[in-house]
Amino acid sequence: MQTRFLIGLVVVAVPVMYFSFAGVPWGKKVDYNADVKPILNKHCMGCHGGVKKAGDVSFLFEHEMLEPGKSGKIPVVRGDADASEMIRRILTDDPDEKMPKNGTPLNEKEIGILKDWINEGAEWETHWAYKKIERPDVPSLNGFSNLFGLLNTGDKAWARNEIDHFVAKKLKDEGLKTSPEADRATLLRRVSLDITGLPPTEKEVQDFENDKSPDAYEKVVDKLLKSPAYGEKWTSMWMDLARYADTKGYESDGGRTMWRYRDYVVKSFNEDKPFDRFTIEQLAGDLLPEKKDGFPVEQNVIATGFHRNTMTNNEGGTDDEEFRTAALIDRVNTTWEVWQGTTFACIQCHSHPYDPIPHDEYYKYAAFFNNSRDEDVWDEWPKLRFYKGEDSVRVERVKDWVKKYAPAELEAKTQFMKVVEPKINAHNFVKGDQSTVLVISYYGVKDKGNARIPQVNLTGADNVLMNIGTRAENAVLTLHLDKLDGPVLSTIKVPMRDTVIVAPITKTSGKHDIYLSLHSPKAPEEWVRITWAAFQKALPGAGQPGYEQIVSDYATALTRPTESMPVLWEGKGDFARKTNVFVRGNWMVKGPEVKPDVPKLLAPMPKDASRDRLGLAKWIVSRDNALTGRVIVNRFWEQLFGRGIVETVEDFGSQGAEPSHPELLDWLAVSFMEDYQWSVKKLLKTIVMSATYRQDSRSDEHRKEKDPYNVWLSRGPRVRLSAEQVRDQALACSGLISNKMYGPSVMPPQPDKIWQSPYSGESWVVSAGEDKYRRGVYTYWKRTAPYPSMTTFDAPSREFCQSRRIITNTPLQALVTLNDPVYLEAAEKLASKMQTRGKTPEQQLKEGYRLLTFKPIEQKSLNVLMKVYKDALSEYRQKPSEVDSILVYGKEKSPELAALTVSANVLLNLDNVVTKE
Amino acid sequence: MEKLLKELQHAELHRQTRRHFLQSAGFGLGALGLGSLLGSCGSSKAGEVAANSESLAAGGIPQFAPKAKRVIYIHMAGAPSQLELFDYKPELVKYHGKDCPAEFLEGKKFAFIQGVPKMLGPQGKFAQYGQSGAWLSDYLPYLQTVADELTFLKAMHTDQFNHAPAQLLLHTGSPRLGRPSLGAWAVYGLGSENRNLPGFIVLASGGRQPDAGKSVYGSGFLPSVYQGVQCRTGGDPVLYVTDPNGMNRNIRKKTIEAINEINRQTYEEVQDPEILTRISQYEMAFRMQMSVPEVMDVAREPQFILDMYGVKAGEGSFGMNCLLARKLIENDVRFVQLFDWGWDGHGTNATDNVEGGLRSKCQISDKPIAALIKDLKMRGLLEETLVVFGAEFGRTPMQENRNGVVMPYMGRDHHLEAYTMWMAGGGVKQGYSHGETDELGYYGVKDRVHVHDLQATILHLMGFDHEKFTYPFQGRNFRLTDTEGKVVKQVIA
Repeated sequence: MQTRFLIGLVVVAVPVMYFSFAGVPWGKKVDYNADVKPILNKHCMGCHGGVKKAGDVSFLFEHEMLEPGKSGKIPVVRGDADASEMIRRILTDDPDEKMPKNGTPLNEKEIGILKDWINEGAEWETHWAYKKIERPDVPSLNGFSNLFGLLNTGDKAWARNEIDHFVAKKLKDEGLKTSPEADRATLLRRVSLDITGLPPTEKEVQDFENDKSPDAYEKVVDKLLKSPAYGEKWTSMWMDLARYADTKGYESDGGRTMWRYRDYVVKSFNEDKPFDRFTIEQLAGDLLPEKKDGFPVEQNVIATGFHRNTMTNNEGGTDDEEFRTAALIDRVNTTWEVWQGTTFACIQCHSHPYDPIPHDEYYKYAAFFNNSRDEDVWDEWPKLRFYKGEDSVRVERVKDWVKKYAPAELEAKTQFMKVVEPKINAHNFVKGDQSTVLVISYYGVKDKGNARIPQVNLTGADNVLMNIGTRAENAVLTLHLDKLDGPVLSTIKVPMRDTVIVAPITKTSGKHDIYLSLHSPKAPEEWVRITWAAFQKALPGAGQPGYEQIVSDYATALTRPTESMPVLWEGKGDFARKTNVFVRGNWMVKGPEVKPDVPKLLAPMPKDASRDRLGLAKWIVSRDNALTGRVIVNRFWEQLFGRGIVETVEDFGSQGAEPSHPELLDWLAVSFMEDYQWSVKKLLKTIVMSATYRQDSRSDEHRKEKDPYNVWLSRGPRVRLSAEQVRDQALACSGLISNKMYGPSVMPPQPDKIWQSPYSGESWVVSAGEDKYRRGVYTYWKRTAPYPSMTTFDAPSREFCQSRRIITNTPLQALVTLNDPVYLEAAEKLASKMQTRGKTPEQQLKEGYRLLTFKPIEQKSLNVLMKVYKDALSEYRQKPSEVDSILVYGKEKSPELAALTVSANVLLNLDNVVTKE
Repeated sequence: MEKLLKELQHAELHRQTRRHFLQSAGFGLGALGLGSLLGSCGSSKAGEVAANSESLAAGGIPQFAPKAKRVIYIHMAGAPSQLELFDYKPELVKYHGKDCPAEFLEGKKFAFIQGVPKMLGPQGKFAQYGQSGAWLSDYLPYLQTVADELTFLKAMHTDQFNHAPAQLLLHTGSPRLGRPSLGAWAVYGLGSENRNLPGFIVLASGGRQPDAGKSVYGSGFLPSVYQGVQCRTGGDPVLYVTDPNGMNRNIRKKTIEAINEINRQTYEEVQDPEILTRISQYEMAFRMQMSVPEVMDVAREPQFILDMYGVKAGEGSFGMNCLLARKLIENDVRFVQLFDWGWDGHGTNATDNVEGGLRSKCQISDKPIAALIKDLKMRGLLEETLVVFGAEFGRTPMQENRNGVVMPYMGRDHHLEAYTMWMAGGGVKQGYSHGETDELGYYGVKDRVHVHDLQATILHLMGFDHEKFTYPFQGRNFRLTDTEGKVVKQVIA
């Protein structure tokens, strides 16, 4: 049967298997994406693309190549290669005209392809990733043998779901075979590490090995997907994309409270929030309609922390607008990288060098994000405030009052108490005498000093709110309308510490400059410090009994140092910004103004869509977006297999890698969006249920030769554990791990002097109790000095979004797992556990191996372990003092436990322990 | 925007860690103890070409015979004042206390200066030294004694006026994060000649790390194996390099043998080449545990050497780092980067100023720097070792007036238009001065050298054409000097 099949294949293949001396094989039409575009990218686009348009000739857009260049000649004349200037310039011998200029000449084959392509009509084709995702046909696995119904073996029997059909077909094309399913212990360890980030327990392995029912594996998968550890594992992935950190970044890199966003991600994964919803909440949660007391649902606002993970620069002398812009640019680039798998950053300065995206579309897209109220101020406004105890009572009293006397005002007042917006940050004040923006975003005024708040809309305002304080006694700040000596709007007695004051102003309307002047004769050299000001309607119900108390509650709540976290908040009306193109990416050189829009490369936004972040977020997760579905399923695939179907998970453009299984990618994307309704759990289940995923990961000479990186999946994934997993596994297998979830990030032990950032008194204070043993995802992340063993195992600094952690293999990693006290404590605990499970050293070592790999140890490996155990034992018997030195975590001190600890240290460093097999 | 690790890096790593080991696995495990981290492309190829260190450069990189085989780069983070140390401006004495001329302020941006500051005359006493007649101030009594070894670049200039971006520009060619540093390029291009030590080692003093953090010695988009490894002067010199208490060398050796033996068995079973890499990296880790503390230990240095550097065994300091730099160079480490923190003389307090504060920083550093030059020369190492001294920018001829207020001490703000650096050894002229500033030391008026020019020159001395020494990333060939840089031929001997 095999022979007959092979013969059939050869017969079919003959017509296309022949050589042409130039170009594409005869009989096959030139494929623009596969054949032509790579030649253009390699030889032409550097000078005739998005960056340069030498001689007014470009091949970036279809229309460009058909238009005459500076010479008046047309680069590409459809159907006539000989008339095409491009071909003439490639073929000419005149060194002044020869193309590529100063570059390697094209070879015969390349010239042949270009000529054939032009002669066939120079058909332009959209790059595969920008075409709408259609559901592909699932390949049939019916070979000739099966056609006759004689056999039901081979790939058809091996396959468990559609994924396997795509994979088996490719394997056949590549001359490779599938592998059988991994043994149960290996498979359970793999799927547990993949779904929950943790190894299974011994009992789980036993139960699975003993469960002979046909759906034993599926039951295990379902259980893992329900485990709370699932959310923690996938949050680790998402944190690199969200560039989550517990510090602000840049030089001073001070702390920031962001952990509620991390907890939001854990919860979202655990409740299997549909991925489209998850996306919308993070990009535009503040704009979603669900509200309570006029304020968006708190979780939705917390979700917007995603884009407040941008860095804030507190260095002296920096221009806040420059770094606000840097954060804006980062939001644009991150959104494109995470959801669209496109390197958008280059379009900041010029059109995309290789993909058809013009320069101004970058800024049209940036316009969606340009209205958030953050301005790189030191204290990172806007922040969502979490009131507790008395403060929360105050807030409720104010809300109840407003509901009673002017319900229409509720939204504005609740919003101000929750996010303190809209307000004017003091760095926008214009300098007068004896006044300046103090080093970090505060405004300072001294006696006889003045400043101006430009163009404030005073219509409807009868109060000024100001965050103000000084050390000077009896300082008085006066607000004047329009001129320094203009009518007095308000007079404020400056409090002796930072306070939010509420003061009445004379009513007026329209936009005005407001002049501040300070009288502070008692301490003329003391600064009066202003952080922000706001002009708004007074609280309603003036004159009613209890009104003064409510005003005081309002001011007190705003003054109190509540816990808070940075969030996105949209500026509207006077607080909305215009967006301009930055000429060559320079934020100081503004080009034409642009309105929010998405690049034409992809499907347009629906006509009725709101042109704000919410509309954008909905567009990103719409069925018509050609990139999102593919990019996201590819990310999850990469996490499981160690390599994406598109290897460059961050770049689906024409410079990225081609997909190894394009139809599978599209099938997964369509299934994810349509059948699973964006359920990540359903997607992951489909993948891990496949026979492809369940294969044994062992390789052999043939596989190494034909497919060293396992691109075609003829075996299961074998990948080193991630930084978090290496740590979590050591803690879990030794029994140290804490399963406590959520809350502020923790500081497990790390060597001294890791934290040395300038200008910050912050220090690493080792967490107490079980917080020392929390999962890696909860470790405090300082951008300029991340937890050292994490970075050693390839975790990024999280200054910017990073799609992939490239796995390295270095001696510094060996030093961590050999010598870091975290792993020594795990070794000692593991050794104690081994002792309780076996009487003889041999039994104990067998147990240790099983606790980490869930498999029996081979005799030859056991012999190696026995030898190291015996050698260590005799050393410790001779030098009992060393026993006390190595055993520092538990009560028992014996040469036997010391030798077993050394053996456990060996076990924790084994390749198959730090690797997912 | 900053994807530090990309497809090409991935491919590069594959090439080095996998394919390489696939190919060389046949040579037996002994030849594999090379270590891609420390070895870089050079030593990972060393299995094939170890005999000839000249040929260690990464394949395809254009190279000519290097004059500088090794580099010691001394960076005074914060930026010392060239007007107190190197750039003698007698005219500035006359202007002391007068308002800064308007032309120096129009359209300029400073980190802290506001309004119209006063000019500040030089605080040091200058004289000429050596046969070359180099101008140096009394802040640097020891450097005077090696003045004839130095080439001064007196009209350096940069684009960035804040520490972190200016440091990044100086070391990586770009003010933003994500590009490889000079040391990473050097090791990528030249490889390492020592199997037991990293090719690029960083030593920091002054109590703090450089403002821009690890990125100033990072590998950017080059494979992470090329990043600088910081050796610490307190605690373990490399993190976790010391065996735990109660685990002696003998036991540690046996544990590593056991790990590697079992891993070898696993390899036979599963045939994953990554296991072979792991085996070699454990061997390297074991050797590093010996070689790193050994090279970082000065106990065996004679007393006169310790005295010459002005250091005490067991005490970390800038001087100690100079001595360690010599030891590392002696052990064929390719690139040694020294950072010393605390040179930011704004005049805000008793240490951050250009009078007493700068004097005391010089007292700590002047002697060991001169000692390093003499020591290298004495050992015949200076000829092939380039020593570079400088900072991310210079300081203003004006006195700082932060927030428009006179500072309590004499201080100067960050200045990017003109400052001084010097180089010695490694193929540069001896006793030479290049470039001049105007009479107030504000602008360079002759032979200005941009930081990109300096980078081009250093690469040239190391045998690279900076325009051809590139690495493909995000569809473009990147180089250290970005799109700029000219080799300063006049300083080359």
